Amino acid sequence: MSPISEPINQLPKPSILEKLIQRHSKLAITLLAIFIVVFVYGMVTAPNFLTLFNFKTIIRDAALVGIMAIGLTFVTLSGNFFLLSMKETAALCIIAFATGMASGWGFELSFLFTMVFALIAGISQGALIGIGGNPIVVTLGAAGVLYGLGAYWSDNLVVSYRRPHGAEWLGTGSFLGLPNITVAFILIAISAELLLRKTSFGRQVYLIGANRAAGRATGHENFWMAIKVCTIASVCSAFVAIAFSAQVSSAQVNYFSSEFGSSGDMTIMVIATVMVGGNSIMGGFGSTLRSSLGAVFISTVDNMMVLHGFNSGPRVFAVGLMIVFSIIVFAILRRGSRSEE
Amino acid sequence: MSIGKLFIKFVAIAGVALFSFSPAHSASHSKGSIVSFNGPAGEAYIGRFIKGIKATAELKGFDIKVYENQFNQAEQDQQVQQVLAAGQLPDVFIWWPSDAVAGLGSLRALAKTGVPVLKINQLPNEQDKQYIFGYAGPDDRLRARNAGYMMREAAAAKKAAGGEGFNVLALSYPHSYGGYDLSINAFKEAIAGSDLKIIGDVDEGFGQANGYKGAAKMIAKLKDQGIHFVYGMDDAILTGGIKALEEAGYKMGEDVIAVGTVCNGDKQLIEEGKQFGTTLQSPLHEGQLAIKMVEEYLNTGKLENYINFTPNPSVTKDTIETTALRGFDGKLYTVEELCSGAWAD
Repeated sequence: MSPISEPINQLPKPSILEKLIQRHSKLAITLLAIFIVVFVYGMVTAPNFLTLFNFKTIIRDAALVGIMAIGLTFVTLSGNFFLLSMKETAALCIIAFATGMASGWGFELSFLFTMVFALIAGISQGALIGIGGNPIVVTLGAAGVLYGLGAYWSDNLVVSYRRPHGAEWLGTGSFLGLPNITVAFILIAISAELLLRKTSFGRQVYLIGANRAAGRATGHENFWMAIKVCTIASVCSAFVAIAFSAQVSSAQVNYFSSEFGSSGDMTIMVIATVMVGGNSIMGGFGSTLRSSLGAVFISTVDNMMVLHGFNSGPRVFAVGLMIVFSIIVFAILRRGSRSEE
Repeated sequence: MSIGKLFIKFVAIAGVALFSFSPAHSASHSKGSIVSFNGPAGEAYIGRFIKGIKATAELKGFDIKVYENQFNQAEQDQQVQQVLAAGQLPDVFIWWPSDAVAGLGSLRALAKTGVPVLKINQLPNEQDKQYIFGYAGPDDRLRARNAGYMMREAAAAKKAAGGEGFNVLALSYPHSYGGYDLSINAFKEAIAGSDLKIIGDVDEGFGQANGYKGAAKMIAKLKDQGIHFVYGMDDAILTGGIKALEEAGYKMGEDVIAVGTVCNGDKQLIEEGKQFGTTLQSPLHEGQLAIKMVEEYLNTGKLENYINFTPNPSVTKDTIETTALRGFDGKLYTVEELCSGAWAD
């Protein structure tokens, strides 16, 4: 045994906490610790929070926003920022689906009919972004077109269809005690994560998102990638529209403008969810799992506040604060990781 | 004739034609012109309100221009500035503020022009009374009181049948919204002295999705205490709440009795007995009443009543097919025509 190796072997192995402190800044660790204390205190003291029923409520609450956030994550990871037309795509699709159901076409045909609109919306926006259009400007314009079409088509009225109907299994049915919308959220979250991690398409998303020039050099153009990710996002929006319509047996063009959360705008909620998950806005870093957990996290904070008896004002404040807080923590943690590299 | 000259001629003719048919020009042949500031047609209730106000204005011979805002007071303020800057003032302004307090400045600006202003939908407060000549719209208190009486009736029937449990869950508007206090206080007054007791009040927001989310959380919180009655501050919120209760295993109409208001939910829930009843608040009536008040004011220079409410009758499974109300245009309307949610067959 050499005299140099002996003292190294005697060094104690660092604990997980020590490793964490070594890798990340003290500020990030302090913020994280405060956050965990507040969060755990809130959970323990909220009446009936730690029950199976409430756990199911939280996941179900997160499901619709979560599914849209999963779709949007593909766009963000590929370096194409955000689609500002998520809720408008859903608005047009919900009118399409309800019109099909009200016309007696049945679930399958109405589903396919709706998906045609989602594909057209996704492919056209993706193509415009792919040829160099600014994603913000393109999708802002598309938002107006899609919403306007939905409003014109429905004449701003509620399109309703009578129960029983073929979509009830999705809207109000359950499987092993879980609402089918929750089951769909879990399945979509798993499939999306596998798609990103285990397929060449997923690796291309990360590559083009992290370094577009490198992607181009290896023969992966953003044009086709933009079309693919925008289509995935639009299809997720359409699915949410179908699931929501199936639940309430009706549709109206403004359902996604005013009905989702106290903060009102669903697109903003979806973007916030992607950010809370710690995904990089510049692309190349993150995952759909992070977005799914982001949706569950926002839902958990809101749920906890309701159980504590807070009304909408403090709840919106708390959820907003938590979103800002988690984005700061993730930013500090990521900076720490990069500086270490 | 050169193409340039032909183009100039075309523009000149088109301009004259356009001017001849413009609203400002045709206003000289009408009984008066009206400008209405209100929310977006994309919202079911307001969409029907706009149809009502336009149809009645046409019927009565008024020209009307409607400015919609997306529930945004800043946008509405900008619209007011644009109308005032254009300089072509109407004979009457109709004012449905997005936010009555924040919109006070715009109301003051409208009143300063000397054009009379009719406030609609939200009851006048002490600050804006001086700027308006009257109010036309719903009575939040009567609507909520009727819902309370309906729930009392259902509770009494349950008690007579030997039923137990009278805990009430309220699915409310946001507590900061003007109609919340009026509604909840009137509802509480109506159920006072009965066995009914409010054990939870959640204000997730407007609409079905928020009704669902709010109710789901409250079920988790109050499950042990027992939920026996649900009061929805409007039927859209209540519809979402009913879905959440059904998903949690409650049998609507048996385990839980639901009463709503406004009639902007789902007709089938009442037909199936899942919702005990609602109190009607018709957007069509509201639009018609506004024009009626404008006509009265322009004809006489004042209103007989400063406050003018739309009717709020109760609608239950038993009365759904027989309830009909005469509109302010003289026509008879069925409940389906007056309600604003999923009520079309």
